[in-house]
Amino acid sequence: MGNWQRLVWNQRDALFSGLVITVEICVIAFACAIVVGLLLCLVRMYVRPLRFVAIGLIEFFRATPILVQLLWVTYVWPALFGWPDTFFTAAWVALALQSSGYLAETFRGGIEAIPRGQREAAYSVGMPPLLVFRRIVLPQVSLSTAPSLVNQFTVIVKSSTLVSVITVQDLMFQSQKIVNIWYEPIEILTATAAIYIAIVFLVSTAGKALADRLRYRYGIALA
Amino acid sequence: MSESLQQILDVSVFWEYRTVLLRGLAVNFYVFACAAALALSLGLGAALLRISRQRLLRWAGTLHVEIFRNAPDYIMVVWVHFVLPLLIGTLLHTRFELNPFVSAIIALGFVYSGYFAETFRAGIEAVPGGQIEAGRSCGMSERLILWRIVLPQVVRRMLPESINQFISLFKATTIVSLIAVPDLMYQVSMIIQQEMRPLPLYTGAALVYFAVILVASYALRAASERWRNKIFT
Repeated sequence: MGNWQRLVWNQRDALFSGLVITVEICVIAFACAIVVGLLLCLVRMYVRPLRFVAIGLIEFFRATPILVQLLWVTYVWPALFGWPDTFFTAAWVALALQSSGYLAETFRGGIEAIPRGQREAAYSVGMPPLLVFRRIVLPQVSLSTAPSLVNQFTVIVKSSTLVSVITVQDLMFQSQKIVNIWYEPIEILTATAAIYIAIVFLVSTAGKALADRLRYRYGIALA
Repeated sequence: MSESLQQILDVSVFWEYRTVLLRGLAVNFYVFACAAALALSLGLGAALLRISRQRLLRWAGTLHVEIFRNAPDYIMVVWVHFVLPLLIGTLLHTRFELNPFVSAIIALGFVYSGYFAETFRAGIEAVPGGQIEAGRSCGMSERLILWRIVLPQVVRRMLPESINQFISLFKATTIVSLIAVPDLMYQVSMIIQQEMRPLPLYTGAALVYFAVILVASYALRAASERWRNKIFT
């Protein structure tokens, strides 16, 4: 037990600061992924001339491993676009890109599942397209895709462990730093793994419960 | 900007190192195949535990699934590579080391067994109970029922879902480069350290993985669709 105290409990400040970075990256990446994913999905569905660009981007984001994307964004983008300028930015940009591809497909499934008649009815009472999207499509899509969104967030949390590779000081980085100081990996790595498993478990359980409740309340049949 | 674009378009570095890089890609496939075999067998085991009639076994199955489905693959790879050998060493009172290949396969196999267990379970539960009862009433043993009645249907039902999981498993094999398994990504980093030219190499690596995964996923999906149609109609 002495080891656990020395290697894990006494290092709680470092681990906690790492946890904060992890949470920050995941939340920023998730928010961006939703926005970019929705944009990609809308471009793919409604902007004819750019359709193939959107499909290409979606497929590229989806079919490239996250580690490769992370290194690519970190080391190639600055030379190409002069951005991202910090490792932290590169980390959430890469995570957001990967998820935006998946979310774009999720949103497309959600939009396509809405009966055509609803949109036609709205147009026939004279609603402009943007209003139709905001009032009729978006509320239903956000409910029907809620479980997939939760799932995608857990994927982001899991992938976020890799940002330690580009020296972003997240939880994984802090725990490996402690390993490199003491050369005693058993306790600290086990504790870190347990923390991650607990976080992902909590997020997915709580998220599923929340999604189900919202869907029940607003009358969408549970899948 | 234009200079860096030129650098990216310059594939000569990639061509120069083609044998090493191809060998790296082969390592990716090798790790993938072994991890997939491990994940499938462990996943089937865990799924059978989860639907067993003994409560203790059911709990064990659920625990397995919840731990490995919720664990990030990177930390599992690191844990298996650095902690597991120490634990085994203390148990056996000897120095014990794991080959990075073996750690990578164990870690990825266990992590993905969690996902496969859920897919198997869903497939098994979709088999109508009457079929199993019919098998029992003909005097088939539980094992025979599993092999002859349940599994053939499960495999077909879980095919589309498991293709997605195979694809993510293949993508996850890139992280084994971080424990020095010489896969494509590892070779790319080594070459970058020598040549100091990250632009064409990282871009090339991304494109290679993109092409491999895109082609594999389309081909697998088309093949499985055809196969399912042939059997279900």
